[in-house]
Amino acid sequence: MHDVAIIGGGVVGCAIARELSRYKVRVVLIEAAAEVGFGVSKSNSGIIHAGHQSAPDTGKGRFDVRGNALFGQLADDLKFGFRRIGALVVARDREELPALQALQAQGEAKRVPDLEMWSANRLHREEPNLSHTLTGALYSPSAGVINPYECCFALAENAVANGVELRVESPVQRIERTPEGLLLHTPHERIPARFVLNCAGLYADKVAELVGLRDFTIRPRRGEEYLLDKRLQGLVRRIVYPLPTRLTKGVLIIPTFDGTMMVGPTADDQDDRGDVRTTEAGSAQVFDAVRTLCPSISARDTIAEFAGLRPVASTNDFIIGPTAVKGFINVAGIQSPGLTAAPAIAEHVVEILRAEGLELVEDAAFEPSIAGPTRFAMLPLAEQQRLAARNPLFARMVCRCELVTEAEVHEAIDHGARTLDGLKFRVRAGMGRCQGGFCTARCLELLSQRLERPLAAITKRGGDSWMVTGLASPQHPSAEEAGQP
Amino acid sequence: MPDVEHYTCLGCPMGCPLELVHEGDEIIEVSGHRCTRGTKYARQEFVAPQRNLSTTVAIHGARWARLPVKVVQPLPKERVMEVARIIHALRVEAPVEMGQVLLEDVLGLPGAAVVATRSMERLPDASG
Amino acid sequence: MMGRMEGRYDVVVIGGGPAGMAAAVGARDAGAGRVLILDREPEPGGILLQCIHSGFGLHYFREELTGPEYAQRFLEKVVDTDVDVLPGAYVSALAVDSDGDKQVRVMSETHGVSSVAARAVVMAMGCRERTRAAIRIPGDRPAGIYTAGLAQKLVNQMGYLPGRRIAILGSGDIGLIMARRLALEGAEVVGVFELMPYSNGLARNIVQCLDDYGIPLHLSTTVSFVHGRERVEKITVAPVDDHLQLIPSRAWDVPCDTLLVSIGLIPDNELAQRLAMRLDTNTGGPIVSSSLETSLPGVFACGNVLHVHDLVDYVTNESLLAGQFAGEWAQGVRRPVDNVRLVPGENVRYCLPHTLSPGRYHTLYMRAKTALQPCRIRVGNLLERTLPFVVPAEMITLKIRPDLLDSYQDDTLRIDIVPAEEGEPRA
Repeated sequence: MHDVAIIGGGVVGCAIARELSRYKVRVVLIEAAAEVGFGVSKSNSGIIHAGHQSAPDTGKGRFDVRGNALFGQLADDLKFGFRRIGALVVARDREELPALQALQAQGEAKRVPDLEMWSANRLHREEPNLSHTLTGALYSPSAGVINPYECCFALAENAVANGVELRVESPVQRIERTPEGLLLHTPHERIPARFVLNCAGLYADKVAELVGLRDFTIRPRRGEEYLLDKRLQGLVRRIVYPLPTRLTKGVLIIPTFDGTMMVGPTADDQDDRGDVRTTEAGSAQVFDAVRTLCPSISARDTIAEFAGLRPVASTNDFIIGPTAVKGFINVAGIQSPGLTAAPAIAEHVVEILRAEGLELVEDAAFEPSIAGPTRFAMLPLAEQQRLAARNPLFARMVCRCELVTEAEVHEAIDHGARTLDGLKFRVRAGMGRCQGGFCTARCLELLSQRLERPLAAITKRGGDSWMVTGLASPQHPSAEEAGQP
Repeated sequence: MPDVEHYTCLGCPMGCPLELVHEGDEIIEVSGHRCTRGTKYARQEFVAPQRNLSTTVAIHGARWARLPVKVVQPLPKERVMEVARIIHALRVEAPVEMGQVLLEDVLGLPGAAVVATRSMERLPDASG
Repeated sequence: MMGRMEGRYDVVVIGGGPAGMAAAVGARDAGAGRVLILDREPEPGGILLQCIHSGFGLHYFREELTGPEYAQRFLEKVVDTDVDVLPGAYVSALAVDSDGDKQVRVMSETHGVSSVAARAVVMAMGCRERTRAAIRIPGDRPAGIYTAGLAQKLVNQMGYLPGRRIAILGSGDIGLIMARRLALEGAEVVGVFELMPYSNGLARNIVQCLDDYGIPLHLSTTVSFVHGRERVEKITVAPVDDHLQLIPSRAWDVPCDTLLVSIGLIPDNELAQRLAMRLDTNTGGPIVSSSLETSLPGVFACGNVLHVHDLVDYVTNESLLAGQFAGEWAQGVRRPVDNVRLVPGENVRYCLPHTLSPGRYHTLYMRAKTALQPCRIRVGNLLERTLPFVVPAEMITLKIRPDLLDSYQDDTLRIDIVPAEEGEPRA
């Protein structure tokens, strides 16, 4: 019997898992996809907001300042990239200045650190490539950027290292109520638990229905993002927001952690929970909006694009708390600023569990940090030589565009990568100029070899995302052995 | 009444546009070629079209799972897929030498040998 | 010797495909004592190893060979001329030290992360393919979208099909060759879609790859949307107008599970960019002198890394020359700086090399912007050549005799490709 079963391995589920691993409790983290973080958490702006943009009397506004503060230590411990590049909410004309001041007041009330109002002159000096028609800006130095999937992988890795069990490709299909608690049914097993945390993102309402609760629905809101050519790197140094609308924070300019400029997102409500298309209309909307902030950016500069879905609850706010079903706790509707809030939500949920009767004894053996992936390309030459001398696979290049070595690919597989995208998002193989043209074949070979599965069974990201199939003509029975130098 | 057939010569990458004038089965004239391969090609295409075939076969014990091969002479065009099926049923053991004959007279066509188009060494740790 | 890298070299060649192998042979023939080829694949041969079809070597070997045969025949030459070859070796950096020698940083399983010194370097790294992201096809992001070159490797070396029901975007030779290859291996190729009103590939490939297999070619048509959550389920294609704009009202859906993109090649110029080498935006490759020397003294370039070729025979010729010049440079030969700039004029997309000198043989390479038939190539007022046709897909070469520039006063020489009258005498 597990003490806690967490349904959903997104950033919230992983953060809670890691937080619970500080205590002597039996925790299992259950994820439907092939890798953690492959749902909502992978495809978003990657921003750790400062916190002044959400009202303090909402769930959304309750956790962001604390979450932001926790990210520094979290990134140090878990070795994922995090940079506080600062953010600007800009006013496009004089009429917008009062709203900017109101935002500052809201931020100060929430104790957002070091907010500063900038005049138009200051703004133009600091960010010369922004439009000269902007009339002012609210500067928040504590805002930053991460690669959200790195954060998920690291949280899950640390949780597992501290005793949390992880199940992937395990959608929860049925939940039974038992005398001791709840019994979760996945395609592979039945998992009994005293407490169940519903962190199921886009499907949180469906999971709640499994225990007979129907008091909220989730409707996806799609956001398209566009990545820009590297030659625009440094054009804008900070995250740039227009003033927020009722629905969203607007179309932003985001210098991502890797330095690539990104613009977006859009905000389109839809019913389909799997539709992550990018569209001509979305592109037009993004670039029209961005041009008013930074005239030098145009659609021609796009090198890649993607879309993510926000799990918007019918209350348009977070839904966090115990329910009428004993032991079943919702952590649902986590839209923006969910990434920022995740560490603080985790703390809060642990307190909810304590209040609901879970005994929480601190585990002295808890290890807060992980070694972090080797980023061979970033190491100084002497260190590269040392590593390669010990392990020659550090001198065997797999992805030439991002300079990823075979040893790093093996590390990623050791840490849980089971799919091509699992590799890609851990070590960046396939993310460069040639977009996997040269390294896909070798990555498939390595996954097949290490996971001891036929190469044709390796998928892009689980489910039905098969990559290749056998030739029509029958293969030599030992053909699998060839090609394994 | 003379008829005209239009062909693209497959003899080399230039792909000259050829015209073959014929009366029934009798060839009257070929034009459009820039070398003698063109006239030969046009005549053959008119009488009995041929195509070259290169493909791969399964190989065991080498670095790669496939060995590239070719048929050393052109085949009747309408039998190419049939020959491909026969070749695809072959199994080869490394090592193999470039030019090594894997199958003689495919489909009973004299001289239509299937040969390896590269050498492949046997890997030291290959089983069997 | 295969697998050896030690000591200092006169010439290091980066890349062991047809360009690199020819450059190495050219350098040895020019008298360079020690020559090394570094190739990142487990065996040299470059892209030829996966090009199992024939069409190679008609000029150079005087017979039509398959890619692997061409590669192996050339490798025999390389071994015969006592060149060191280190496979599985990736060049991660290049620097020039205070003596003017080049320090080449090499990563290989056998030699770890190490450095090798060379007097001269030849860049022969080839090219990469343009991707779906480059042309921004909207839609879902499923598995099953590959470049034609990746599909070729999967099929020809590893023995896997990229899918069973395949659509191909781009009618250049790679796309056409793969259409036939996949049909031969039992896949269903539903069609080849080409944005332009003409195919970029060789006419003979339209016949022997598409017509022979009943694969339709849809010109002036492109992919407007990719559908499929996890795996490609269908694509939406639509015709384009004279300005290459989509006509969405005439779009239609094509059920398939795979989309191959064959939409162009780009010289692999990452190293050149990091070295701040002067690049030609028309070719994507480095600017070179009549010795095929880049803006970095003693660093030469040839093959697809310099400009994308159609025929490997031309790659070989160009690379033998580059190797020769590199070999001479390594032995102290310094030619006077070129004093004539070659510039692309009317209907010329690019021309190479970028500068010329009087008193030397030159081979000029160029491509037309648009098809013309018949046409005249004008090299300033020095030379004219009439050709029955030019198409952008086929590179034009022109040999220049040493005396041609002898009395040329101007510092710029312009090449134009203009229409000729029908029936004009051929030069």
